[in-house]
Amino acid sequence: MIVLGYRVRMEQRLSTPRSLLVMVPVFSVFFALVVGGIFLAATGHPPIGTYLKLVDNGYTSFYGITDTLGLATPLICTGLAAAFAFRMNLYSIGQEGQLYLGMIGGAWAGIALADSLPTLVAVPVVLLFGAFAGAMWVAVPALLRARLGTSEIVSTLLLNYVALNLLNYFIFGSTGFFRDPTTSFPQGRPVAESARLSPISFFTDKVTNTYPTFFIAVILAVVLFWLMRLSNYGYETAVYADSPNTARYAGMNSAWLQSSVLLISGALAGVGGAMYVVGPAGKVDPGLLQVGLGYAGIVVAALARYNFIAVIVAAVLFAGLRTGGNALQISSDPVPIAIAVVLQGAVLLFALGGELFRRNKVTISRVQAAAT
Amino acid sequence: MANLAVVTSVAGSSSSSRTSQPALEARGVTKRFPGVVANDAVDFDLARGEVHTLLGENGAGKSTLASVLCGLYRPEEGQVLRNGAEIRLNSPRDGLAHGIAMVHQHFRLVDRFTVAENVVLGHKSLSFVLATNDIEDRVAAITQEFGLPLNPRAVVGDLSAGERQRVEIVKALYQGAEVLLLDEPTALLAPPEVENLFVTVRAMTHTGKSVVFVSHKLGEVVDISDRITVMRGGKVTGSVRRGEADVRKLAELMVGREINIVPRRAKSPMSDVLLSVSQVHLERDGAEILSDINLDVRAGEIVGVAGVAGNGQRDLAEVIAGLQTPQQGNVTVCGTPTARSGALGARRAGLAYVPEDRLGTGLAPAMSIVDNMVLTRERGFLVDRKSALAESEQFIRQLEIKTPGPLTPTRKLSGGNAQKVLLARELFAVSGARVLVVCSPTRGLDVGAVEAVHALLDEARDAGKAILMVSEDLDEVMTLADRVMVLYRGKITLEQPGTHADLERVGRAMAGIAS
Repeated sequence: MIVLGYRVRMEQRLSTPRSLLVMVPVFSVFFALVVGGIFLAATGHPPIGTYLKLVDNGYTSFYGITDTLGLATPLICTGLAAAFAFRMNLYSIGQEGQLYLGMIGGAWAGIALADSLPTLVAVPVVLLFGAFAGAMWVAVPALLRARLGTSEIVSTLLLNYVALNLLNYFIFGSTGFFRDPTTSFPQGRPVAESARLSPISFFTDKVTNTYPTFFIAVILAVVLFWLMRLSNYGYETAVYADSPNTARYAGMNSAWLQSSVLLISGALAGVGGAMYVVGPAGKVDPGLLQVGLGYAGIVVAALARYNFIAVIVAAVLFAGLRTGGNALQISSDPVPIAIAVVLQGAVLLFALGGELFRRNKVTISRVQAAAT
Repeated sequence: MANLAVVTSVAGSSSSSRTSQPALEARGVTKRFPGVVANDAVDFDLARGEVHTLLGENGAGKSTLASVLCGLYRPEEGQVLRNGAEIRLNSPRDGLAHGIAMVHQHFRLVDRFTVAENVVLGHKSLSFVLATNDIEDRVAAITQEFGLPLNPRAVVGDLSAGERQRVEIVKALYQGAEVLLLDEPTALLAPPEVENLFVTVRAMTHTGKSVVFVSHKLGEVVDISDRITVMRGGKVTGSVRRGEADVRKLAELMVGREINIVPRRAKSPMSDVLLSVSQVHLERDGAEILSDINLDVRAGEIVGVAGVAGNGQRDLAEVIAGLQTPQQGNVTVCGTPTARSGALGARRAGLAYVPEDRLGTGLAPAMSIVDNMVLTRERGFLVDRKSALAESEQFIRQLEIKTPGPLTPTRKLSGGNAQKVLLARELFAVSGARVLVVCSPTRGLDVGAVEAVHALLDEARDAGKAILMVSEDLDEVMTLADRVMVLYRGKITLEQPGTHADLERVGRAMAGIAS
């Protein structure tokens, strides 16, 4: 490529310097902030001041960080779900639908089973049912992929719309099991009290939006990280991801590997939905639709470069942008939430663009003068 | 974006000087890659109408030189001259503008397109709607003129390797190439197809075109070449004209010392039959791939299966390794029938398998040596990398595997070192494996690595393993095998003792000529 008399060349790197692994995400965020700043300035808001407010509202104030951790909780789960599948080169984008189904499955258990159970049992039961429902939602795409080689991208995406309509139907379209019978207002039937957790107050008397499920999500990420590193299952999926032919040569069962990875990914997203039930919602809540945590999970996984521990960090970072952005909207000088969305989009774009620099070395040289 | 940055340093080079100047010349070309000097001040020239062969081992730098000549690589130092005038090539497109085209070893064709569509692919002056008939007529004219039988309307995906190569050559000619660089053109061809290729090459040189023929196969280049230039370690080691070519001398120039191929045979008496294949029959998509295969391999024996690529060798190896299930017949490994028990069943019965494709089948390329060591062993819930690490370190020492360490990804190893890792795992690390199936164990390796691999196989034979070696390299089979078999169209057509095999008969059997 020739730009203004300079030749720009890309050459593949033989190895990636460690410093780049840190530099690329840092610069991605930095450039995203610059782009967002241009939008802010264009709409008449001081960029630096707005950013400082955003950081305060999203990360540094007490309610800011506790809101952020609360939002990050299901986001860690969908991020893990996406990372888990993407590592195997299975591009499931069904986390959104699996999240809804996790909420529905979890709420079912919370309503139907939890009544007579102590909290210590009821909460895990709700989470397990959420996981199961999420896994079942990806079972058909998993089967199609493993047996017929059908693209999981299309099938999981389409099921997101089915899940969305299913959720709407349960709350707005029917007066069935999930609908609250005590009011004509369309809302979910509350789960048993024993299936709910109370928010963490962090040694204050304030009511926060962070629930103990945040720690469950973090523990999940850490356990997954070590398990995939040390276990035979992690080894086999890594071999398959690296080279399907090698996996076949070694006698691994590729249909099993593909379908089980998709099912576990679905279960992880489903747990996220169920955490929403035992935490803030306490019922099937269509409010989850507005948040888009499933799709955001894909962004989080990409930012974390499919590393399970990094998913935690990326999810908190991402959730903070969202809560900070929300708070800006209702401040004295309201900034449209769209700016926060622009920022999120820009972070992703620059993070993915940064991959180019991680993989390639860019050299710029002067083009030799022609025909002297 | 094909800016032609052409510099004409020799002023006034006119058409009158064309005849005396070489069609293409390299002067002092140096090209470095990280860690290697692929071309070290190389001089090379090609006359009009000449076939000039670049001969050398893998890694000698001949493909690099060809890539420099066609514009794919830019040299750090030196010049490329066309008809005596210096040219600067920034891309293969620049090369084409000067009438220079390269036919790569790995074809660059679109399988779903027809021959004609592939020929015009990337051509700059195409109309918005393809004038298909015109193109097909022109393609047909070229195929006739140069003896390249091809149907312009055939879909490339349906063609054989030889036919695909013809498409590449037609493409180059269609684009107006006067100088053709053929990189290892015979690597994928059966002997009759090689003959065809030579006819085409002669037809091209008759019309004044020039050909650079890149090869590492000594035997064949002597027939076709007007001149042979030998490269080794990035340098030119010698050049001979037609008629002066002496195979022994060329071989010495290639490897840099007198080569002394000593056949290695079994030293101790063979004992029990460890691998037995009986009446195996394999079909795929209605086509017969293997038919009535019977063979036994004894402990302490190497049985060599020779044949031209694509005659069922890989399928035979995969059937024995349990990766394909035959419709009929039995495979017995150390007394256990395994034909229907899958790859794991065959392994548990005592089979080790070294596939032809080292990186990508035998090894996981992005994973470390340690991780690759545990690939074919029994693993529990957790992977035991501690013992694999110790094992890797031991093999690296014993087999002199050149690597920064045991945690290096295998794709960063050279071919020879990757093969050592693979052989080490399959020969020594797989517990209890007494039968080894090995495919083209030295394909693409340099001379030193070939010797090391052969020594390893010989050692394993002495240790009482039963080895079935499938190889397209007849020399390799003749050097190592105690018994030689020829596989032709899925059948074993000839069996001879390795010590006094009739080479001519083996060659004829490989070409499918009944003796």
